[in-house]
Amino acid sequence: MKISESDIEYVAKLAMLEVADDEKKELAEQLSRIVEYVEKLNKLDLSGIEPTPQVVTSAKHAIRDDRVAPRTGSSDASKTVKLFKVPKVITER
Amino acid sequence: MNLKNITADKLVALYKNRDLTVTEVITNVYEEIDRTDPDVRAFMSLCRDRAFQEARRMDTKIAAGEPMEPLAGVPIAIKDNITIRDITTTCGSRILENYAPPYTSTAVERLRSAGAIVVGKTNCDEFAMGSTTENSGFFVTRNPHNLDRVPGGSSGGSAVSVASGTSLIALGSDTGGSIRTPASFCGVVGLKPTYGRVSRYGLVAFASSLDQIGPLAKSVRECAQTLEAISGFDHFDSTSADTPAPELVKILEQPIKGTRIGIPKEYFVGGLDREVKAKIEACMRLYEGLGCELREISLPHTEYAIATYYLIATAEASSNLARYDGVRYGLREAADSSLREMYRRTRHNGFGKEVKRRILLGTYALSAGYYDAYYLKALKVRTLMLKDFQKAYEQVDIILTPTSPTVAFKIGEKTGDPLSMYLSDIFTITLNLAGLPGISVPCGKNSENLPVGMQLMANHFEEALLLRVAHHFEKAGGFTV
Repeated sequence: MKISESDIEYVAKLAMLEVADDEKKELAEQLSRIVEYVEKLNKLDLSGIEPTPQVVTSAKHAIRDDRVAPRTGSSDASKTVKLFKVPKVITER
Repeated sequence: MNLKNITADKLVALYKNRDLTVTEVITNVYEEIDRTDPDVRAFMSLCRDRAFQEARRMDTKIAAGEPMEPLAGVPIAIKDNITIRDITTTCGSRILENYAPPYTSTAVERLRSAGAIVVGKTNCDEFAMGSTTENSGFFVTRNPHNLDRVPGGSSGGSAVSVASGTSLIALGSDTGGSIRTPASFCGVVGLKPTYGRVSRYGLVAFASSLDQIGPLAKSVRECAQTLEAISGFDHFDSTSADTPAPELVKILEQPIKGTRIGIPKEYFVGGLDREVKAKIEACMRLYEGLGCELREISLPHTEYAIATYYLIATAEASSNLARYDGVRYGLREAADSSLREMYRRTRHNGFGKEVKRRILLGTYALSAGYYDAYYLKALKVRTLMLKDFQKAYEQVDIILTPTSPTVAFKIGEKTGDPLSMYLSDIFTITLNLAGLPGISVPCGKNSENLPVGMQLMANHFEEALLLRVAHHFEKAGGFTV
């Protein structure tokens, strides 16, 4: 499938990226070539095949016990005030 | 003394015999860095003060006759996407230019406990996205065998540091070949462990289901020593395997006669450089000479690997890199009008071209209407590729291939064409998709005097066998075959 410049604008918006006007054309061409290439996967019959999001080699506990444990750095982080100085993230409508 | 000609075990023995002090070696390392690094540019930052402090502490311990750790006083380098507390961790990105993390990665913590001394952080492709280290947001690293060539990537700085003798061992990370490719291009050994073997705590995430930390060094033994030190369960990584850290060094010498080595026919087709092919064939003959049994095997879905990888890796990356919003880490650009404008400006100015391209591709593959057609499809093909390997490992113990279809190419040669750059990863990415361990070892040089790499792959958690088979190759003169 061809990726158009307006596709680039749409995806850039989703990804919170700015794309300059002169970059749009080049990106649309490059991504079109890549997307056309990956469409070779359409040749395969994938009916009944389960997806593998992660190769599970062994998971002792994907969720650990909810206990407070010492962790390097965390106490220092709270002392370093500037780590928590954030811009205003709530705006008036 | 030139660190190019010495390995970690020999260095520790010299300390033990009081033939050399750690301080002398660390002094030598920084002299070498001052001499060679302006040309090759392996290092992003150095930690001289702390390295000398540790060296002096170590010398005092040794002088007092205290027991020595396995890697006592061994100079190591760490890829700049692995955290060390209070030391800048840029990931090769302008967006993290001044980011000093408040914690140390488990792998570095464990190497330090084993006595190793970190001399510096090494350059890499931005967020490990690249095959040449040309995508660093700061500077290009050059191949010490030929300064006009790429060192491979993304752990290019780590490979170059080992090859230049400015560290004995380096840590890299491997998401699609980022340890093995630079090892191959720079003529060193690079090991990518089984997914889950080494904790990813403190490894800045690129594609979480594929990323794995591993060592680069001049010898198989040093890689075995390093893996022993860094592997094992870590409750700070929810995907960490609960398998105990294996004994690797002790069993290196065990015989490999009768090992069944598979040669996948799909890896010996068009695009493979003639001289590389000849070297790999010489490797096969060497293994036959060592009493191993060679068998042709098939990994039929290999031709879909790059398509599968670049959908999964970019989808995961687009999600992982959403955290760089100007609020929590590093760069924050000013914006007058809105929060969203601040996000966009920060990300626009902080990310380089390749990272943006991959975020866009990944966001596209995950977006409404395309998720099933691209991302989900890739996950299903990944299942097929995993099954290919499972079937293969019923017939053989080890799989042997080239690491890369070519030797190191020229700087700038492929930067304008992302797809052709991606295609150069063909032999390394299948392993990450299947979560398997693999190693690249040097197997001589081509007619232009550039190193060629051989890749060996094993089944999940079979690093002991993998390293043994690689070690016997090294011992039999395979590195200069």
